[in-house]
Amino acid sequence: METAEVTRRSNTARVMAGTKKRNVRKAVTIGLFTAPALIVYLVYVVYPILSTLSYSFYSWDGTSDKTFIGFDNYIQLFNDTIFWTSLTNNVWVVLTSVFVQIPLGMIMALMLFAPIRGIRLFSSVYFLPFLMSTVAIGLLWVYMFDPINGIINQLVNVLGFENVAWLSDDNTAMIAILLVVVWQFSPFYMILFKAAMVGIAEELYESAQIDGANSWQKFFHITLPLLMPTIVSSSILAIVGSLKAFDIFYIMTGGGPNHATELMGTYMFKQAFINFNMGYASAIAFIMFLIALVVTVLIQVVDYNRKKKGAF
Amino acid sequence: MKKLTALLSVIAMLLLAACGGNQGASTSTGSGDGDEKVIEMWHIETGEREALFEEVAKQFEEENDGVKVKLLQAPNDAYKQKLAVSMSGGNPPDIFQSWGGGWLKHFVDQGNVEDITANVDQDHYLEMALNNGTFDDKVYGVPMGLSLDVIFYNKEIFEKYNLEEPKTYEEFTNVIKTLNENDVTPLALTNKTKWPGAYYLMNFASRIGGPDLFESAFNREGRGFDDPAYVQAGEYIQELVEMDAFNKGFNGIPYDEGRGRQLMYSGQAAMMDMTISFLNNVREEAPDFEEKLGFFVFPTIPGGEGNQTQVGGATGPVWSVASESEHPELAAEFIKALTTKETSQKFTDRTGTLTAVKGVVPKDDFVKEFYEVAQNASHIQMPYDQTLPPELAELHKDTTQALFGLSMTPEEAAKKMEAKAEELLE
Repeated sequence: METAEVTRRSNTARVMAGTKKRNVRKAVTIGLFTAPALIVYLVYVVYPILSTLSYSFYSWDGTSDKTFIGFDNYIQLFNDTIFWTSLTNNVWVVLTSVFVQIPLGMIMALMLFAPIRGIRLFSSVYFLPFLMSTVAIGLLWVYMFDPINGIINQLVNVLGFENVAWLSDDNTAMIAILLVVVWQFSPFYMILFKAAMVGIAEELYESAQIDGANSWQKFFHITLPLLMPTIVSSSILAIVGSLKAFDIFYIMTGGGPNHATELMGTYMFKQAFINFNMGYASAIAFIMFLIALVVTVLIQVVDYNRKKKGAF
Repeated sequence: MKKLTALLSVIAMLLLAACGGNQGASTSTGSGDGDEKVIEMWHIETGEREALFEEVAKQFEEENDGVKVKLLQAPNDAYKQKLAVSMSGGNPPDIFQSWGGGWLKHFVDQGNVEDITANVDQDHYLEMALNNGTFDDKVYGVPMGLSLDVIFYNKEIFEKYNLEEPKTYEEFTNVIKTLNENDVTPLALTNKTKWPGAYYLMNFASRIGGPDLFESAFNREGRGFDDPAYVQAGEYIQELVEMDAFNKGFNGIPYDEGRGRQLMYSGQAAMMDMTISFLNNVREEAPDFEEKLGFFVFPTIPGGEGNQTQVGGATGPVWSVASESEHPELAAEFIKALTTKETSQKFTDRTGTLTAVKGVVPKDDFVKEFYEVAQNASHIQMPYDQTLPPELAELHKDTTQALFGLSMTPEEAAKKMEAKAEELLE
């Protein structure tokens, strides 16, 4: 009896030790398999973010010795009117991306499904802007916006108005660039929506047809709800992309005139590579990262709650 | 399956080993040719200037056995960034180009630039130009070229409307009015790049407050960047803008792409305040335009302390040796080769600009006129953005652009400059 008890116990112990061993081995295997990706991720994503954070506590010009100054960079940053201008401008980019680009992308995708002759041609035409490099687009539009001989001002003249100095005026520069941004990125969302729409089952529309739904009802009760996941992921892409925006603004105005089109990205660049304030630039970079992180988490949480309620 | 995995890993390891082996081999060949000394030089010049550098490099290689000169060209803005990164990364070229002044001093202060006082003959260069690369009586940069800032104009248009080169501000505004009445843009301006507009501020300030104004403000010797002369200079600029003296939308037009020059070539605009490198542009882009091209020095201001013998100018290229260089002596030798009298003569004759080397008279008639101006100059004002520390320089250009855009008052701009100057210069 006793011996039986002992053997049973030792058996359980052995089994438990076995599972533990197996678990460890499993962890090692998993670790090994993910190691290549994980190492790349740690070295190229996590490490730079952390070192940016550490630089942001220093006064450093990029070459000479660093001096630790604690939160001074952040205090200066929050008192910096140019930083607030750039943050507001970033918010404008985010708003146009989410409320103009994404709806426009959806409309273009819907049009591609409409029974119109020759529509397939448009699917390529719509997509063209997205295929061009941003630098080329920037230069192209700079010439089109030329205040004297640009094609857009020629058109404005034909319509009987005075020339508009699009990129040179504090009031119009932002609008002009946002127009280009919309032109460039809407096709990207069009493709996303087109792919999602192909995935919606035809039967749903058929049964709606039988129930006597009109086109609007079909759109609002079938297409739109089923596109929700795509809208959410598009929004995340749009928001994060807009917060990081840099290239087209750098090329078209360089953040000017008088910081009217300054973004966090361009301001960071100026501080880092023109004014040689690496520490200050790192502080801007880290704030950018924080904002993007918070916004992304927020969207994810909202989306999670939406899904929990039983929506798609 | 197991065998396959083993095989694959063996292959992978072999590949890795092969790569490693290759690397080893290439480094060993690199050090195998260790007798060959390589001097790397970074610059931003193109066309004739670059060709001249190559010729000098070739000759230098022939004269010095086992020396190889590597030239690397990058466009202006990219160059500045590239150099700053390479300096902080501890891997700069042996020789690099700058414009002297604050930007170079920034690297000097960090101990990245070699003191070459002992290597160069200071009497060989124009004092005013050499000063731009000299800090605390030590020479860190040697000037090769000298450029002036003048107002170019279209002689044909001036003749057509019976206009003469203006000597005073009043005559200048009369010219502007006449041109405006005849639907000719008086002044072409490309101010997205910000430095072309800054010339107006510098010229006005120098004419109003005298040529010592800037030195005094920069060295914190009594006057400041909020001096009444700076405020007035801003007011003059805004007066010109309100007079429609400039082409529309100037704050959004970059200089390099040439749309401002196009306005001059096509006769849409009559004048342009620009450095003398414009002549070289004309020769490359619109050779026929040269016969119509004339220039005058910035007009005087009533009641101002300055006169027309004071001109704006700039040095560039300025050559420096990085302190990380493995062959600093050789690099300094090469810099000297670039600025011999002979090379300088070629430089001025082939590129239509002046040189910072003494006693080099240009052969070209047009360039000779520039030479006369430089010879008779009582003071040459180096651009603020090259003299000031980078952050203040950027603010100077930003505020001036805002003045032109009428989105900042002259008082506000002057106050901002002074506040930053107090922070950075004192």
